[in-house]
Amino acid sequence: MKPIVSCRGITKVFGKGELAVHALRGIDLDIMEGDFATLAGPSGSGKTTLLNMVGALDHPTAGEVAIDGQPLSGMSKSALSDLRLNKIGFIFQAYNLVPVLSARENVEFVLRLLRVEPAERRRRADEALAEVGLQGMEGRRPSALSGGQQQRVAIARALVARPRIVLADEPTANLDSTTTKELVDLMYRLNQESGITFLIGTHDPRVMEHSKRHIEMNDGQIESDTRG
Amino acid sequence: METFKLLAPLAWRNLWRNPRRTIITLFVVSVGLWSILAVASFISAWAQSSRDATLRLLIAQGQIHAVGYMDDPNISNLMPPPDEALVAALDTSGISNWVARLELPGVVQSEYKTLPVSLVGVDPEAERRISSIPSKIVEGRYLDGPEDDSAVIGLNLAKRLKTALGRRVILMVTAEDGWLEERSFDVVGIYDADTAFEDTYIFTGRRPMQAMVGVGDKIAQIAFEVPEDAALAGVVERLRAAAPTLDVREWRKISLIMGAMDATMGGVVFIWMAVMMVMISIGVINTQLMAVFERTHEFGLLRALGFKSRHVLLLVTFESVLLIGLGVLIGMIAGAATVWGLSDGIDLSAFGKALEAFKAGDTLYLEVNPIDYIIFPLAIWALGVVVALWPAYRAQKISPVEAMRQAT
Ligand SMILES: Nc1ncnc2c1ncn2[C@@H]1O[C@H](COP(=O)(O)OP(=O)(O)OP(=O)(O)O)[C@@H](O)[C@H]1O
Ligand SMILES: [Mg+2]
Repeated sequence: MKPIVSCRGITKVFGKGELAVHALRGIDLDIMEGDFATLAGPSGSGKTTLLNMVGALDHPTAGEVAIDGQPLSGMSKSALSDLRLNKIGFIFQAYNLVPVLSARENVEFVLRLLRVEPAERRRRADEALAEVGLQGMEGRRPSALSGGQQQRVAIARALVARPRIVLADEPTANLDSTTTKELVDLMYRLNQESGITFLIGTHDPRVMEHSKRHIEMNDGQIESDTRG
Repeated sequence: METFKLLAPLAWRNLWRNPRRTIITLFVVSVGLWSILAVASFISAWAQSSRDATLRLLIAQGQIHAVGYMDDPNISNLMPPPDEALVAALDTSGISNWVARLELPGVVQSEYKTLPVSLVGVDPEAERRISSIPSKIVEGRYLDGPEDDSAVIGLNLAKRLKTALGRRVILMVTAEDGWLEERSFDVVGIYDADTAFEDTYIFTGRRPMQAMVGVGDKIAQIAFEVPEDAALAGVVERLRAAAPTLDVREWRKISLIMGAMDATMGGVVFIWMAVMMVMISIGVINTQLMAVFERTHEFGLLRALGFKSRHVLLLVTFESVLLIGLGVLIGMIAGAATVWGLSDGIDLSAFGKALEAFKAGDTLYLEVNPIDYIIFPLAIWALGVVVALWPAYRAQKISPVEAMRQAT
């Protein structure tokens, strides 16, 4: 089986000389189709930095990231934008949604960038929102939704364009335990039923409970990578 | 087009996320433009009013002389009365009024003083139609007819000569034969214009003056008036064709100072515009930079989702286009409303003497000048959008990594 994401010898250094921070120190990692992987580790261990590399948001200092077998180095910013649009769904910790757009418009946004026809766009957005349990709230702005509901919209948006992989960085950080459980169950169900690949950076044990694969980072390196 | 449909509503909604700030910017832009339009209307009304008032005294809108008279206004440079062709042209060229005058430099003498003046021989009936002097008599009367051999002098000149109504003054003018001709005149009227004018011009009937200097029916000038300044150039052309041997000029070439003033009035408006533009630029850059920095995370998010940096640039520029466009629109409406609101005229008579120096009439009539309403709004809009490119450029450089950053 070919990996969706493959990282070879990734290092990332912020700053120069005395002040240089080695955020990643040689990461080799393959994310396989259907993985529901959690990425854990102490604060500052490099989880977010690694997700940035995998999500084509930032360039590694050295090493190579490939998505679907396509190496990212040498791609233009515009091509990277297109790649994110087509292959990667993102769920961030907070302020995930565009505040001036309704739930439906937030989900539709990605489809608009992909130039999907209006009717089709709307159908798929409403379908995705229904999938995450937000039927009847399509017209609400983010400010009129709870934190959990906002993250559901973010999940719907991450999924609506059928990406190859969904990257989430601390998606439950601001949520209470009931909401966290609901959200994790939702992502897990989507992974089980639709085979969507997830890579989730998290501190939260309730998220890790479900993981089929657990990656532990420390000081910019992968300490353990266990399936179970 | 698809991009436009995506960005336009987004830009519009973003504008109203911080209504207070948006309203302040709208206020700055619209008040700035409003003031430019108001100042432009006011200055142009003032310039026109003061110009008209000055021209109404004596110059009128144009004059015809013998060649050489303008350089050396003496008795050897007079012209014959208008021939048939010229009279026909004067009566049909779109000229509303015209007069023939004899004007020569001379000296006036009272018991106390001798002063240099310009003696003007006029046809009082015609003068009443073209000049404001007959209506500016403050003591006594204006001249009766072309045969009237008395004198009308200025208020300040009377004071300097220590003469008064009913007294006599002696006028000396070089005659045709080269001798200094002198004659005494009854002062029958005193007029009130500005001091410099009052000190210069003494009026009498044209025929007695022609007889005094022995020039037959020769005259020094024909002054003419047109209803619209815009028609002047064409009128001058036609008169030149009718009188090819004479010197036909419009007022700008007669009073060089007034011509220059006419040209510099526009400069005042442009200085004001420059000041306002600097203010507007600072305001726009300020708010748009704030609006961009506040949304660093959000732009990161948009970029992470597949927005190109070009889209971000367009979005922020779009917001500026809308914001400034709206401000410009409000400013234009406010400007036009102000001018129309004051279209009955601004009464300056209360300022009376204080404004005499500007020689404006007592009432200013403001007008909407359509060109102003195209050029100034466009200039401000363009400027606003150009300066807002800097915040837009900053926004464009925001990296998608910002989306991952935890705190906002
Ligand atoms: N833009 C940056 N400039 C300089 N240093 C950075 C930058 N981004 C991250 N770092 C540093 O890189 C290291 C790894 O950071 P990272 O955010 O990846 O950790 P993390 O595992 O996500 O931590 P947390 O659990 O707190 O989110 C940290 O030491 C951090 O200070
Ligand atoms: Mg992190």
